[in-house]
Amino acid sequence: MMSAILQIEGLRKQFGGVTALAGVDLAIQEGEILGVVGPNGSGKTTLFNVVTGVHKPSGGRVLWHGRDITGLAAHQISGVGIGHTFQQAMAFPGLPVLENVRIACEHARRSSRAYPWTTPEALLRFVGLSDLAGERAGVLPFGNLRLLGIALALATRPSLILLDEPAAGLNDKETLALVGLVKQLPEHGISVCVIDHDMKLMQMLCRRLVVLDFGSKIADGPIRDVLNDPKVLEVYLGGVL
Amino acid sequence: MIMKSSSSPLASLLPALAVLVVLALVPALGPSNRILSLAISAGINIVALYGLAVLFGQTGILSMGHAALVGVGAYTAAILARDLGIGFWVALPLGSLLAAAVAAIVGVPSLRVSGHHFVIMTFAFGQLLSIVLTNGGAFTGAATGLDLQLPVTWFGRPAGDLVPYYFIVIAFVAISAVASWLIINSSYGRTLRAIRENEKLAASLGINVGRHKIGAFVVSGLFAGVSGVLLAYFFRHISPNQFSAFPSIYLALMVMIGGARLLLGPIAGGILVSFLPEMLNLDPVESRILYGICLIAVILLLPNGLIAGLFDGLRALGRRLFGSAPRTTVPADSTSETA
Repeated sequence: MMSAILQIEGLRKQFGGVTALAGVDLAIQEGEILGVVGPNGSGKTTLFNVVTGVHKPSGGRVLWHGRDITGLAAHQISGVGIGHTFQQAMAFPGLPVLENVRIACEHARRSSRAYPWTTPEALLRFVGLSDLAGERAGVLPFGNLRLLGIALALATRPSLILLDEPAAGLNDKETLALVGLVKQLPEHGISVCVIDHDMKLMQMLCRRLVVLDFGSKIADGPIRDVLNDPKVLEVYLGGVL
Repeated sequence: MIMKSSSSPLASLLPALAVLVVLALVPALGPSNRILSLAISAGINIVALYGLAVLFGQTGILSMGHAALVGVGAYTAAILARDLGIGFWVALPLGSLLAAAVAAIVGVPSLRVSGHHFVIMTFAFGQLLSIVLTNGGAFTGAATGLDLQLPVTWFGRPAGDLVPYYFIVIAFVAISAVASWLIINSSYGRTLRAIRENEKLAASLGINVGRHKIGAFVVSGLFAGVSGVLLAYFFRHISPNQFSAFPSIYLALMVMIGGARLLLGPIAGGILVSFLPEMLNLDPVESRILYGICLIAVILLLPNGLIAGLFDGLRALGRRLFGSAPRTTVPADSTSETA
């Protein structure tokens, strides 16, 4: 039996009169790769932003190994062991790639766990960017920027990593490389939660899928069941296909 | 794939030190007192500019009230000398610490908000300080300001004349350059650059963005305080209008014109802005117009300042002359502060 490392209870977020999250319950299990999908505006990114301290929630709780971490500031969330990548602005564009990762390593939390990457060089090797160490991050093509973003998040020594549309803007080859990389993370004790539109990506990555619509969870279960759920077909896939 | 040369960080310090050695030889050429005075006040500004460069160049936040922090140092020196008979060498650390403390008091409320608000808050603080100094009665000398009588000595020998004081100022410029270089090449400097480049990402990596921004402002206050004490002991008379809006704008101008990210930037900016009106024989109104035009030109044409522009120009020239020269031969890269 797996145990939940992150437990989200009745999480709500309102922006003025707009309800972005209308009470979401979600548990992320240790060692899993969880997918969260939903149409534009369904609250996926808001969910990440509220959990990672970018926004303060309007209500509900976030528990990390049973400890209440609701409303902690972004830099404190990194300190408890939750890493996070961004859809946009994934790196420090004006600084060399190696310096990007070195900064992240210098602020890594203290952790008794063994990580396979202890140096900036090892992280760059893991994501395959060693050859670009001296380049300014701002000149990297999009696919490499995504990989650099993941390296930065891994450098903080997380035990859970939240990936916001990691495959957006990548071609098929780059997407496959990314899948290969993300699938290794649970072996190193890092659980993963991915949000994306891309169903093919989700099928490659996850066993469990959560579907959000208008800020509410409408499905949660094994990916095959969720994809055949008539409710999901109607509100999400029905609109796309 | 070509890797950039990982030349030692020392390579970025050497040009600045070489320039300072040359400048230290200037008195041997027998310059006029006028030139020497201008050079001393340029040097005093450059000390403050190194602090401003940490704030603006590394952290990416601009202070438009920096002369007020210089004023805190200057008034500290004058009041300590008048009331307690405390001299130059003790006033230096005290003025520096007090200016840093004032920076912390101003920074805590203003840096919680965005960069634009901070610029306005520092500007307002500059105005406020000059109003307080003007209305401070006998304690601050009101609008006429304060005189400073204590001599500057160096191991018991008088050092207040132009030439010895020039050397003292050059020494403090050198100390400031080295301190700034140490900051740039430290983990602390990298943290500040991370904040400049992407605050959201920096926070997600565990960096306490607000605290480090205040810290950078406090560090810049340390430099400003030293500059203020040097200034008070040079002019021997200080008054509120030396630390009001225009001097603050000049400081910001100097750091932008010279370039805030490279070690040579503050030296270039400080010398240029101090000497240009003199060399072109301009009156104060004309020189303000000239500064305005210079600032616009630099922002539009050389956003990283003159020195960075110069290096970029040299590199482009080198490429034209020698074809596609390998990257490793490029002397300095304007975009990487630590190279």
